[in-house]
Amino acid sequence: MNNNIKINELCYATLSMENPNSFETYVSLGGYSAWKKIIANSTKPKDIIDNIINSGLRGRGGAGFSTGKKWSFINQDSDEIKYLVCNADESEPGTCKDRDILRYNPHALLEGMLIASYAIGAEVAYCYLRGEFIDDVYLSVKKALKDAYKNKLIGKNILDSNVCIEIHDLIGAGAYIVGEETAMLESIEGKKGFPRYKPPFPAVKGLFGCPTIINNVETLASVPEIINKGSEWFNKIGTDKSSGFKCFSVSGHVNKPGNYEIPLGTPFKDLLELAGGVKNNKKLKAVIPGGSSVPVVPGEKMLETNMDYESISNAGSMLGSGAVIIMDEDTNMVEVIHRIARFYYSESCGQCTPCREGTGWMYKIIDKIIKGQATIEDFESLKSIPNMISGSTICALGDAAAMPVESFIKYYEKEFLNYISKKEKKAFI
Amino acid sequence: MIEKNLYNLSNENENKLNDWLLKFPRGQKKPAIIYALHLIQKENKYIKNEHIDAVAKFLDIKKIDVYEVASFYSMFELNKTGKHTISVCTNISCMLNGSDNILSYIERKLGIKLGETNEKFFLKDERECLAACCGAPMMQIDHKYYENLTTEKIDKIFNEIENE
Repeated sequence: MNNNIKINELCYATLSMENPNSFETYVSLGGYSAWKKIIANSTKPKDIIDNIINSGLRGRGGAGFSTGKKWSFINQDSDEIKYLVCNADESEPGTCKDRDILRYNPHALLEGMLIASYAIGAEVAYCYLRGEFIDDVYLSVKKALKDAYKNKLIGKNILDSNVCIEIHDLIGAGAYIVGEETAMLESIEGKKGFPRYKPPFPAVKGLFGCPTIINNVETLASVPEIINKGSEWFNKIGTDKSSGFKCFSVSGHVNKPGNYEIPLGTPFKDLLELAGGVKNNKKLKAVIPGGSSVPVVPGEKMLETNMDYESISNAGSMLGSGAVIIMDEDTNMVEVIHRIARFYYSESCGQCTPCREGTGWMYKIIDKIIKGQATIEDFESLKSIPNMISGSTICALGDAAAMPVESFIKYYEKEFLNYISKKEKKAFI
Repeated sequence: MIEKNLYNLSNENENKLNDWLLKFPRGQKKPAIIYALHLIQKENKYIKNEHIDAVAKFLDIKKIDVYEVASFYSMFELNKTGKHTISVCTNISCMLNGSDNILSYIERKLGIKLGETNEKFFLKDERECLAACCGAPMMQIDHKYYENLTTEKIDKIFNEIENE
C-alpha cells in the first residue's frame, strides 16, 4: 500500500486534536483567516466564484456538480433577497461523514457558509440538520454558532465592515426525502417534504420564492482552505476531473470502520487497507461504493477501481455520497437488497405514482422471494419494475430505489433463483 | 358553540417559538411548525390532536397544515408511547454487523416487540439509517447515540436507565 497517502487534511483537520470542535482549535489551525481576508480586502464575489470553479470542487452530497458553477447561477445583478442553505440532512444509508464534520469541525462549515453566502450575495443562510441529530450533533453546531457570533464573524457588520450575514440552525424531523434539495426548501417552509418540479431551479426560485443555493456540509467545509491555499493547490490533488479530497465512510465487513478523508483517485484497495481490510480474513464479495442508492459493484472489479467520480462510473456505479459499504464472501445478497428495498419503500414521499407504487411492488416481491413464496413469474416482474420507475419521477428517489435492485439482480441473479427453486421444489414434493 | 381549550402552550414554549420565528421572513409562521412539535413531543412524549390545535392557534395557521407535518415526519409520534424512545438501526451497514440480533435481544429484554410500547419504553420501528454507520450496530435512546453495541453493552445501558 501507498504509505504516503494523505488522510484527514481538510474537513477532518481538527479530528486528531484535543477539543476538536472548539473555536480556539479551529483558529489555531488558521481558521477564519480566509473569511477575515475577504472582509478586509472586500474581495469581489465574482473572484471567489471563479476561484471555486477553477479549484474543481464538486458537490459532495452525491450529485458531484461543480460547486462554483452552481453559485454562478445566481443573478448577482438582481436585488432580490437570496438565500444559502446548508444540507446537513445526512441520511443516505451508509453515510456518516458529515456527522463527524458537524461534531468535530463545525467552524469549517460555518466559515464555508459565510464565504458561500458572501459569494452569492445572501444575507441569510440556514443550516438544516436532520431531526435525529437533535440531541447530538445539533448541540455542537449551536455552540459553534454562538462562538462565531461572539467573535463578530457572523451577524450584523461583521468585523466592523458593512457585511451582514446571519446563519440560522434548523432541525428536521425524520424524512430521508428532505435531503433532496427542493424537498428541503419545502421542509424549511414548514411543509411536507415533497420535491418540487424543476425548472424553475432553486437558483432562480427557491426558498420563500427567492434565489437559493443549497450545498452539502462537506462541500462548504472544503471552501475556506481553497480560499487560503488557492484553487491550484486543490486542483492538483486528485485526478483531472475529480479534484481535491473526499470523505469516505467505510462500513460493513471491515476491521476498522470509519471516516477517511483521502485524495480523490486513491485506489479502492488502499482505502480498504486503511479500514483494516475485510473482517475475519474473509474475501471481498461486493462493494456499494457511494451509498445505498448506487449500483453494487463486485469485489474483483472494485479492487481494480480508483475512488474518483470517473473511475467508479466506469465500474458501473457512482461515487455518490462517499459511503463505501463492504460485503464479505458470506454475505447474502438477497437479504441486503431486501433491506435496501424496505428503506426506499418506507421513504418514498408518495408524490409520484411510479415511485410510490413501484417501491412497494419491489419490496413486496423481494419479501416474497426471501420467504420462499415467490414464483419465477414474480421474479420476472421484479426485473421489469426498475425500468418503469427510472426517469418517471419528479426527484431522484425513484432512480435511487431502482438502481440497486437492477444491479443486485444483474450480478447475483443466481442467489435470487436459489430462493425460488426452493419454493418450486417444495411444490413438487 | 363554545370551543374548549384542552391544551395551551406553556409560556416558556411560546417564548421559544417567538424566538424561532425570528429566523424567518416576517409573517412566515409555518416554518415554526416542526420546531413547535418537537417542543411539545419533548414534554408530552407524543402528539395529540389538542396539541396540533394549540400549535395552529398560536401560529395562526390552519390545523390541517400542522397535522400534515405531524403525520409526514417519522420522528413525530401520534400514538401513546413510553417514557424512552429506542430506535435500533437495522439499515444496511448495521444489518451487516448483526443489528437483527441486537434488535431481538432488546425485544426479549424489554418484553416488547418492534413498534410496541410499555410505560417505560417505546421500541420504534425505525426504517431510516441514523448516520453512524461506522459505529454499527447502533441505536438511539431519546436521540442519544449508542454505538458498537454488544449484548453486554446493552445490559449496561439499560441498567443505567433503570437506575436513573
